[in-house]
Amino acid sequence: MAYKVLTVDDEVFFTTLIKMNLEKEGEFIVCVENDSRRAVNTALAFMPDVVLMDIVMPGMDGGDVVAQFQSYPELKNIPVIMMTALMSPDEAGEDGFANSLSQMVLPKPVNIQTLKRCLKKVLGAA
Amino acid sequence: MDKLWNESLTNQAQILGDILDNLPVALFAKDVSDDYRFVLWNKKQEQVTTIPRERALGRNDMDLFSTESARYFREIDEAVVRRGKLFEIPEEIVDTKAGGEVYLRTVKVPVVREDRIILVGISEDITERIRGKEQLMLLNKNLSEKNKELEITQQQLFQAEKLESIGRLAAGVAHEVKNPLALLLLGVDYLSSGIDPADPNVNVILKEMRDAIERADKIVRGLLDFSSDRQIRKEPADPVALFEKVLVLIRHELNRRSVSIDKFFSTDGVKIKVDQGKFEQVLINILMNAIHAMDSVENPRIKLTIRVDSLSEVSRNEGDRTATHFRKGDRVVIFQIEDNGSGIKEEDLPRVFDPFFTTKATGMGTGLGLSVVRKIVELHQGRISLHNRSTEPGVIVQIILPGIHFTELD
Repeated sequence: MAYKVLTVDDEVFFTTLIKMNLEKEGEFIVCVENDSRRAVNTALAFMPDVVLMDIVMPGMDGGDVVAQFQSYPELKNIPVIMMTALMSPDEAGEDGFANSLSQMVLPKPVNIQTLKRCLKKVLGAA
Repeated sequence: MDKLWNESLTNQAQILGDILDNLPVALFAKDVSDDYRFVLWNKKQEQVTTIPRERALGRNDMDLFSTESARYFREIDEAVVRRGKLFEIPEEIVDTKAGGEVYLRTVKVPVVREDRIILVGISEDITERIRGKEQLMLLNKNLSEKNKELEITQQQLFQAEKLESIGRLAAGVAHEVKNPLALLLLGVDYLSSGIDPADPNVNVILKEMRDAIERADKIVRGLLDFSSDRQIRKEPADPVALFEKVLVLIRHELNRRSVSIDKFFSTDGVKIKVDQGKFEQVLINILMNAIHAMDSVENPRIKLTIRVDSLSEVSRNEGDRTATHFRKGDRVVIFQIEDNGSGIKEEDLPRVFDPFFTTKATGMGTGLGLSVVRKIVELHQGRISLHNRSTEPGVIVQIILPGIHFTELD
């Protein structure tokens, strides 16, 4: 069965490409949300297995959205991978991502292999 | 005047003598016909020359002054007599044997009476005025030097400010550039999975595109590293062990180019407090620069020194834009990396630590290496300097870090 991925990012073409890449081989079903303020509602409706969350977004940043998720029992245990251009792989740590409690941080730009590996790692652990 | 001439001759002579002795200028007269022997020598002239009247009268310049001075006086005297009119010497130096050199403004005038010529000289002591002028010129010179220093400092400040603002902009730029890069990379990934593998060009192009994205990302990342005062985690480390580890990391490069290494390590167990990862980055960067600089050298050789010292003086190096954290007497660990490569052009030296300054061909270096290096060294309260070797071609890079056994400088 395919995993459900919610991607929240104000860059429309970025989310489109995430969707196209991840859905290509049928491993993932991707739901796109480009407005961070609607992320909670979209998540509640879609109930993803994992969330890809941009950090710098207009209106409400990724950190705020994650904090909002925490106040919903249905959402608070869903793993979130933060994606940011404000970090380099050196900082993110081994294998391109760092683990801080339940959240992971993945630096942009990221290639699809790394992203998939990261998703599987999170889902395996979840 | 009339009144004076009515006096007796004796009185006249006494009064005139008093007048001459009370003049604020030095007055003398020479009898030209009697081999320029002095016939008049007033009090002020005694003071100026430090020669008493009794000694001067009846003698000439040859008897009283150095041969050199005497010849000089005689030359002028003869010229004045020849021309038969007043002559002014605006500034002359007279070496009085007892009183050292004095500056005089002298007027000489020949007085002709029947068959005698008396040469009268009036000298004004302008030594203090001249010394004052010299003092003023010296002060002025000092002032303009200070002014120049100030200008340089100001320029350095401007430069530092410019760099600071680049730093502030960098984070924003990095974000704005990395996002489109993220798009490109995902786009390339998608396209490459659905493409006709029969066309060999396709894979080449896709690889080139990925490489280009990576290259752009690396530059932006370097800028980010340069700009951010990111937290560094400092731990005590043994400088020698650290250096040895770095040498292992670049062993491949060293072997490939047959670089010989001379090590002079002596630290007496003094440790440094560093972020190991960051500081390794610093040493690797400098060593790689050295290796590149020796590309065309027959016997590439790097001399590595680590030593402990206490600062005898805190100097500000040329191009050093940051206040150092060191004080005189601080115990420091000094790393020195010396290569026998091509060296750095003098005009490039002040700029080597500037971001984006590079002498390498486009694509060979981002020009961020040394600026990041310096940033990291500064985050360690350290100091880095770079100069050419004095006698042979090659560069010496010196990094000074506080030694932690003795002084905590955080």
